[in-house]
Parts: sequence; C-alpha cells; structure tokens
Amino acid sequence: MQRYILRRFLHSLLAIWVLSMIVFSLARVTGNPLDVLLPLEAGPEEYERVAKHWGLDKPLYTQYLIFMGKALRGDFGTSWKWQGHTAMSLVVDRLPATLQLAGLALLISIVISVPIGVMAAVMKDTPLDSLSKLIALLGQSLPSFWLGIVLMWVFAVQLGWFPTSGRGGLSYMVLPGIALGWFQVAALMRLTRSSMLEVLDSEFVKLTRIKGLPEWKVIWKHCLRNAAIVPLTYFGVTASALLTGSVAIESVFAWPGTGLLAVDAVRARDFQVVQAVIIVFAGVFIFTNLVVDVLYAYLDPRIRYQ
Amino acid sequence: MLHSVLSTLLLGGCAMQRDMMTMPRLIPLWLGLVVAMGFLLSATPTPALAGEAKVQRLIFGSAGFTEGNRFWTIVRPEHLQFDPFLETLLDIDPKTGEFIPRLAEKWQASPDLKEWTFWLRKGVQFHNGWGEFTAKDVVHSHSFMLRQDATATFVGIWRLVEEIKVIDDYQVVFRLKRPVSMMPYLVSRCCDLRIVSKAQWDKEGLEGFDKQPAGTGSYRYIDRKLGYSISYERVDKHWAGEKPDFKELEIRLAPEATTRLAMLLGGEAHVVDLPRELQQEAIGRGMKLVSSAQPVDWISIYFGGMYFLPGDPKFDPKVPWTNKKVRQAMNMAVNRRELVETVFAGKATPVYVSAWLPISEGWNQEWVTQFDQLYGYNPAKARDLLKEAGYTPGTVKVKIVAFTDPGESEGPVVAEALGVYFQEVGIDATIETLDTVKIRDMGRSKSMHCCIVPNIVTWRPSEEWIRNTHSGYANGHAFEDEFIQKNYDALTQSVDPGERQRLARAIGDHLYEEFATIPLFWLYNEVAVNPKVVAEWTYPGLGGGRSTHYHLLKATK
Amino acid sequence: MATAVSQSVPWYSPPKIARVVFQAKRYPVLPVAILVFFLVIPAVFAPLVAPHDPLKGSLSKRLKPPVWAEGGSIEYPLGTDKMGRDLLSRMIYGARISLLVSFMAIFVGGSIGTTLGVISGYFGGKLDALIMRLVDIALSIPAIFLALVLVSAIGPSFGTVITVIALIQWARYARQARAETLTVREQDFIARARVAGASHVRIMVRYIFPNLVNTLVVLATLQVGSIILLESTLSFLGVGIPRPTPAWGVMVADGRELIVTAWWVSMLPGVGIMLTVLSLNLFGDWLRDHLDPKLKHV
Repeated sequence: MQRYILRRFLHSLLAIWVLSMIVFSLARVTGNPLDVLLPLEAGPEEYERVAKHWGLDKPLYTQYLIFMGKALRGDFGTSWKWQGHTAMSLVVDRLPATLQLAGLALLISIVISVPIGVMAAVMKDTPLDSLSKLIALLGQSLPSFWLGIVLMWVFAVQLGWFPTSGRGGLSYMVLPGIALGWFQVAALMRLTRSSMLEVLDSEFVKLTRIKGLPEWKVIWKHCLRNAAIVPLTYFGVTASALLTGSVAIESVFAWPGTGLLAVDAVRARDFQVVQAVIIVFAGVFIFTNLVVDVLYAYLDPRIRYQ
Repeated sequence: MLHSVLSTLLLGGCAMQRDMMTMPRLIPLWLGLVVAMGFLLSATPTPALAGEAKVQRLIFGSAGFTEGNRFWTIVRPEHLQFDPFLETLLDIDPKTGEFIPRLAEKWQASPDLKEWTFWLRKGVQFHNGWGEFTAKDVVHSHSFMLRQDATATFVGIWRLVEEIKVIDDYQVVFRLKRPVSMMPYLVSRCCDLRIVSKAQWDKEGLEGFDKQPAGTGSYRYIDRKLGYSISYERVDKHWAGEKPDFKELEIRLAPEATTRLAMLLGGEAHVVDLPRELQQEAIGRGMKLVSSAQPVDWISIYFGGMYFLPGDPKFDPKVPWTNKKVRQAMNMAVNRRELVETVFAGKATPVYVSAWLPISEGWNQEWVTQFDQLYGYNPAKARDLLKEAGYTPGTVKVKIVAFTDPGESEGPVVAEALGVYFQEVGIDATIETLDTVKIRDMGRSKSMHCCIVPNIVTWRPSEEWIRNTHSGYANGHAFEDEFIQKNYDALTQSVDPGERQRLARAIGDHLYEEFATIPLFWLYNEVAVNPKVVAEWTYPGLGGGRSTHYHLLKATK
Repeated sequence: MATAVSQSVPWYSPPKIARVVFQAKRYPVLPVAILVFFLVIPAVFAPLVAPHDPLKGSLSKRLKPPVWAEGGSIEYPLGTDKMGRDLLSRMIYGARISLLVSFMAIFVGGSIGTTLGVISGYFGGKLDALIMRLVDIALSIPAIFLALVLVSAIGPSFGTVITVIALIQWARYARQARAETLTVREQDFIARARVAGASHVRIMVRYIFPNLVNTLVVLATLQVGSIILLESTLSFLGVGIPRPTPAWGVMVADGRELIVTAWWVSMLPGVGIMLTVLSLNLFGDWLRDHLDPKLKHV
C-alpha cells in the first residue's frame, strides 16, 4: 500500500516539473512582457533598462536555471504586474477564495444531484426520471459563464434576492456557486443513478427487503452507502473541472480568486504568476487525484493488489 | 476533465433506450424553459433600487487597472487609484481643465525653458502624522522616476531632469537637459508625479510605503484587497479645507460590464464605468450619466508601414497606403456621421488632426473648414482615388487590428465597421484580433506593414504626442518622415512661444495634408451614477485616470 | 471487451456504425432530427440556407429584436447583433464553424491519441510507461490554462484554437485506445497473424484498429459537444476564434454585455449550443448502447 502511494506521489511530482518546464518555455518564447510593463510612450532606452532590471536580457536557459534554483527554495519570483508581491504569495492569497467557491459548488451539486439521482434510480422510467435526465443534460450543455450571467440578472437584479458580485458571506457565494456547480450536477446525478441501479439489483438488497426493513432505510442507508464509492472516484476529475470552471465564473461575478488572477496574469504576460498559478492548480488536481486513488484503493481491496 | 467525466460516465452505462420514447414528453419542457428564460430576460420589472438617503461609503465600480501603490510603475490611465489621496504640484480646474495651483502656489519658467521654479505651499500636512510637506519631499517623489523599475508613462521626460535644486523648504527649481515647455502639464494632476513623504520613506522604506502610503489628499489610503477593492477615508483637516460629502470611498474592481451595471442597479455601487451599450439600459432604469467636463480621449486609426524616414530599411513601397491617394481614399470611405450615431450614441466631436484640440499647440482652425472636402464621406471619390493610385477593386488588402483595454471597448466595433466601409469601396479588409502585447511589439519593431490600428489615446500636449508617434525617438512609429523629424527637433529646442506655435502648426498641417491617420472622434468620459445617492460630480476628465476630483462628488440630500 | 460479433467476423468488416445506423430500431428520432436541423443542414448548406451575409451588416440596423418581439421584422428573423448583422445567418455559418473546429480538433487529437494509445498498448513495457506518463501529464494540465497560455503565445486564430483543443483531447483517446488494445491484443487471431508473419504495423492497422472504431466514434460524438462548449469559454476569455468569424462561442461571448438590452444576441446562440450539445450527447449515448451495450468502464 505504501509503495503504491509513494509511486503515485513521485509520478505527480514529475508531472508538475514537466508542466513547469513547458509553461516556462512557452511563456518566454512568445510575447515580450516588456510590451505590457512599459507604456506606449516608452523609448528604446526604457526597454533596455527595464529588461536588465528583470533579467529578461539573459538567454533563455540562463533564465530557466535561475528560476529552477529559486523555485527549489520556494521562491517563484516576484510578480511584474502586481509589484511588490511574490508570485506565490499572490496565488496563495487568492486560493482560499477559489477553494471556498469550488467547495460550495461541489456541495451544491452533491446536494442536488445525489437525492435526485437516487430517486431517479428508484423511480426509474417515471416522469421524475426523465425530468432528472433533462436537468442533467441541460447542465452539460450550457456554457457556464452564460448561465452565470443569466442567474445574476434574474436573481440578483430583477428579483434582488442575492447580491450581484464580489466577495462576502454566504449570500455572495450562492449564485456563482450554482453557476459553477451546475455542470457537475449532471455528471454526479447520472453516476449516482447508475450505481444505485446496480446496487438496487444486487442480492444483499433483496435480503434487506426480506428482512423487513422499511423501504427508505433500504434505499438511503444501505444502497447509498455502497453506491457512493463510484462517485467518489470522479471527485478528482470534478475538482479539476471546478477549478478550471472558476476562471470564467470568477470573471462574471468579480470573485477575487485564482482563476481571475490567472486570466489577468496571462493577459499581462506576467509569467512568474502564470507559472505559479499553473503549478498550484496542477498540484491541487494531482493531489486530489492521488487522494482519491488512495481512498479508492483503500475502500476497494481489489485495486490494491493489481 | 469535464469531458472525461462525461464520456466515462455515459459509457459507464445508464440505459438510454427508454429515454428515447419519453422524448416527446420532453419537448414542451425544453421549449417551456427556453421561452421562460427569454421572457425573464426581456421583461422590465420595477428596478430594485437601494433607496438610501444617506450613504456613508461611496462605491465606485471600475473596469479594472493594475493594482499597486508604486505609482512610478503604473501608467497614467490607471492613476485613478491614487487621485483621492496622492496629490500633485498643480491641479486642473474641474470645469475648464486649466492649470491651477495646488501643492505649488506659484511657478515660473526661465527664458530658455530649462529651469522651472516652483514655490510650495506652506502648512500642508501628510497623512498619518508624517509631518509637513516641504521641498525635500518633491525631490524624493521625483527620485522614484529614476529608479531601475520605473515604468510610468512620463518616465522618459522625468529622466530629462538633471537636478532639482532646493532653494529653501518651500522653493525648488527643476533643471532640465533640454527645454521642456509642458512642465506645468507634467507636474499637474494630469500626470504622474505623486507627492509622497520622505520622512515615511526614511523610516519605513518600501515595505511601509507599500502597506500604507501617506499623501496629502482629502482622502486617506486605508487598505487594498488585491483583485477586489481599495478603500479610502475622509481626512478631518485637509490643508485646502476640502471636505468630501462621502466619509468613505471605495473603488471596487469588476471586470465584467454587466456585473458593474448589476452592481449599480442593485445598489451595491453608486458610480460605475459603463460601456456605451449599457448606458441606455442604465438610464432606462433611472440612473444618470455624468460626463467629464472636457473631452479626454480620441479614437483614430493609424496606418502601419509609414516609415518614411530617409534610408529606413523597414520601409516597403508595396504597402498600398504608402501612397497618399490610398490614404485619402480610406479616409473618404468612412461614414463618420453614421459611426458617431450608432457606436457613440451621437456623443462625440470630430478629430481633425489626431491629437490636436483647439487648446493644443499648433492648432489651425482651417483644418475644420476644409475637412469635409478632403476627408468627408464620399465612397465614389474614394473608388476614383484608388483607381488613380493604380489599385483595382480587391487589390488593396488591409488587416484592421481589434483589441480592447479595460474601459475602452469600442475598438473592435469600430474595426468591424471600418471593415464594412472599406469593402464597399473595393478594399479587401479583414479583422485581426491581436492582444496589446503583440500590437506593441509590431509597432516597436516597425513591422506593421499589414495593418491599420484603431486606438484610443488620452490627450497630451502636441510636442509629446509627436515624440510618441511621429518621431523616431519613441516606439509609436505611426507616421514618420524627414519633415516632421526636422521640425520636431527644432521644436524641442525652441523657447519662443510664437516660434513654437509655428513649428507645431507646420507639423500639424503636414499630418493633415498627408492624411497621416484616419482621424475619428473625441470622446468624453462618462460614468453612470445613482441619482438617489450622487447629485452631481464635476470632473475634467483630463486628470490622470480620467475619474478624478472625488471630493467633488456631491451627495443627494 | 470486443463483443462476440467482432470476433467471428474477418478483419475487414463493413463499419459497424453504418449498419447500426441504418438498420437499428428505436432510432433516436428527435435528437437526430434536431442535430440534422441545427447542425448538419446549416453546416453543409450554409450559403443556400442563410438569408443574409454573415459578415456584412449595416450599422443603422444594429440590435434589432427577433421577429416575435416588438420592433422585430421577418427580414431579420432572429434579430441583428451590434454590428447590424443578421443573427440567423451568423448562427447558420456558426454551425459550420463549430462543426469544423470540433471535427478537425477531434481528427487531429484523435489521430495522435489513438496512434500513441495503440502503440502504447501493443508494445507495452517502457514505451507504454512513457506514453502513459505523458498522458497523465497532459490530463493534469488544466485545460483552460493551457489554452490561455498557448493562444496568447501564438495569437488567436482558427488553427491555434484547433491545436489547443487537440492538445487537450489527445490524451483521452490515447487512454481509451490503449485500454481497448490491451484486450484485443490477447485475442487468438492476433497471435495467428503474428505467426503468419504480419508486421507490427500491419497488425495494428488492420487488426487492432478496426476494433477500436466503435468506442472511438462514441467518444468522438460525445466530445463534439464539450468542444463546442470549450471553444465558447475560450471566446469568452478572449482567446477563442477571432472575430468577425461567426462561431457560436464568439457570439455568446460578444453579446454578454448586451444581455440586458439585447438579450437575443447572446441568448439565441447559447440556446443553439445547448440544443446541439444536448442532441449530440443523446445521440452519442444511443450510439454507445447499440455499438457496445456491455461497455461499462473505460
């Protein structure tokens, strides 16, 4: 078991390292950040001076070596756009906001999709089942930023039930959370439904019914517990989907998280921050996958011994 | 991610066959949802305005800017974040835009325009108890422009300052390497020399400055939440006795225009930057538009490839618009009246020569009278000119570059409109969406031969504009030739006002006659305000950051 | 995972898909009808079907509402956008663009992915491990970020968007192809072919690949929808198909400022995306069920 974890962990590190190299070279080979750092009015002397200041006049491999050296010590460079802040500190500052939002989105999607998925499985082929499929399919088909705008307009402006944007308490998170989580509703709902269907058919459920347990206990207590394993495996995928989805949603709702930071950084050619964001995101994704894999291996002994 | 979820998930099996048979039942549901959404969006219910009589904290919703307190690294259009609390030596009159005293009471230039003396105001106190404003603070504030990391708009000129002589605590003399006639402009609220405390710097250094910079304005900096907001608080005893109506001020960042509109309508913001498309909606819902007192920016189209300096290796005579007739044709193809009505809601005044306003040095009133004849909308004449120049329909290929900066969203629409106008006279125009970085790069390296670029720029004195765009000294390279270069060189050395006017006018005339650009419109800066909260706001628009003079926001009683 | 049918059939069999499509009962009538109506006909017959030129508009006719709203007219059935261009025509041409982008991205990504996947599964060993690590890395890169960096690096264009999406897609095909290859590889007829002296390439192309086609087609069909969504998100962030090309995603993104005043500019392409993706998903499901109903896990 431990070897499994170790192997996966090392692979994850390798993935992150390769990723950083790709981003590093891509970011520098293309597009001169000086054109963003300096105003239109700057002359050639200004370009030279600022290039020297940021070490951009050195050859590419030298820059990379310097970067790696610093990165191993935990220094991912200072931001060019947000002067005075280190790249990593910017990401770390904004990460809680994104995680908060993603967490709520996940919660919302679970709260909506699991019960409906269960009911859809139990009441298979009834209108409720079809309705659930419709909701699920709709969720998969709408662009999330568009949904965000529509939600904001309908619920925040027309009806005034929620604030329109910004960071704050729970009421500020509801609309972006729904817009972000909606996609996952579809996936989780169908997953829950299908695994519930499997379990409902199984022998031990028949046994519980024979034993005379009330139906709701059969469904919610026994079936769901077993059915829950399968959605769990998709948690890793879901987490990353939420993180990437947050980029557009944060823009619509002016939610100051890492997604918005990433877009701003890419537009401003602030490579240091772009690197830091990608590494952190990839890290989060890889880490959650790792945790899920380990959890799955733990819950399902068959995997462990492969 | 999502895709693999979908595929594995659906491959993971729910039997969908039976769903097919329930499809008919789903159609009305689908249609119902679509129609319902449509009605919800198009319906106009009673707006939920926050009817507050007394607002303590005024919230300004901005499209966004580079955040940071290091004003020497921030370009001028983004200086609105400093305007409430950092002041400059001179102010500009909120209505007329004229230079008036601020931290400097009086100023005078030497005859050779190389030495500028400023008499400083006495008794001005910095925030947070950092002491009195004196000459040493001026020297200190300027020194930031000399740093390695200085990237502010006017750094190039600030570096022309050889030294700042401190005569006494309240008198300084700027000594420059060459004559600079626009010194009052540079030290005014239009530009970026923000006065900060030397005492604070000596004690707290960069770290302390980043955290809580002390200024002299009627608002005091409180703090920032990166990516979200900046907060300011009214100062009790301002040296000029300014007492803003709103005790607290917050600039909130919201990149999406729809979000800003929603914030305004929902009462979460009281003043917002809005693009023109949404202004009508805001007005329809009871909001008011407040315009700057002066025109601020102009939008024009710049030709690439105009590298006419003798011996310039980058010059390519095959570029169609190196021929003056083609440039004139392209000017005459544009229906400026229609553009103004449709894109700018009729609220823009014409540009005759790009960058020149009647207040600019070298203005020539004849440009106005002759404009229709030379530049006016005349597609037939445009086609003739192209024929004369030897180009049959479809042989002139041009790429119109489209890009947006926050708060300046009209570029792409204008680009696309131009595309249509050009097609009508037989010019093959395509739209190229590039980002600002790419465009700057192409401009700098003089490789814009393919393209023309619409650009929105804030007003500045003629000499500075010529340096930026029509001389070889900066990176604009929008139209350069020997005539302009010679006159510009002379202009930089000239100190006699009459001669300066003559030289500037000569350059202006030359640009006009050569159809150096496709001039379009002067634009006012407009913000939408909630009339229940803000009664009025007078601001010139020419101040750094466009939205300035926050202390003049008058609350509705 | 290959069904009994493909085992007993010689290496070349008429594409199972075609048989299934034309003979099967319980045809998903409605999704296919929607697909054909919204996607195929417009895409193929765009110049014939569209009432106006999608790129030419008149500024004086900008932001006209659809025919059923007040102020609308039959001349512009779905209204006009902010440049005065007919929305219906743009949506029709947009269907073409969306399909083109999806198909090309799937083709490029799918080809690369399938090839690598088959090689990986067939040869196994170190090569397999290497390719799978690459797949892991590719899947761990957040899609949007890769897109942002790439497109802002190379510059937005049709080709760049396709490259970006292909780079994001290939790993899925690789994984799928590898999994399938692993099962097929063990079959008897493969061993027989080896004994008969067939080269590795021949085996992979003629024996293994045809058995993958089913699942790959299903995967592809399911991907088209998500690619259209991805492209629209990229356009929203400003790094998608460059204007004025009428891609649905661009239209939704461009109209977002107008969602209050001229809701149809953004909403209708959004509805188009929604219905198309919906139908594609349903069709893909059905296809999967009929090609390989026992398919459960990847």
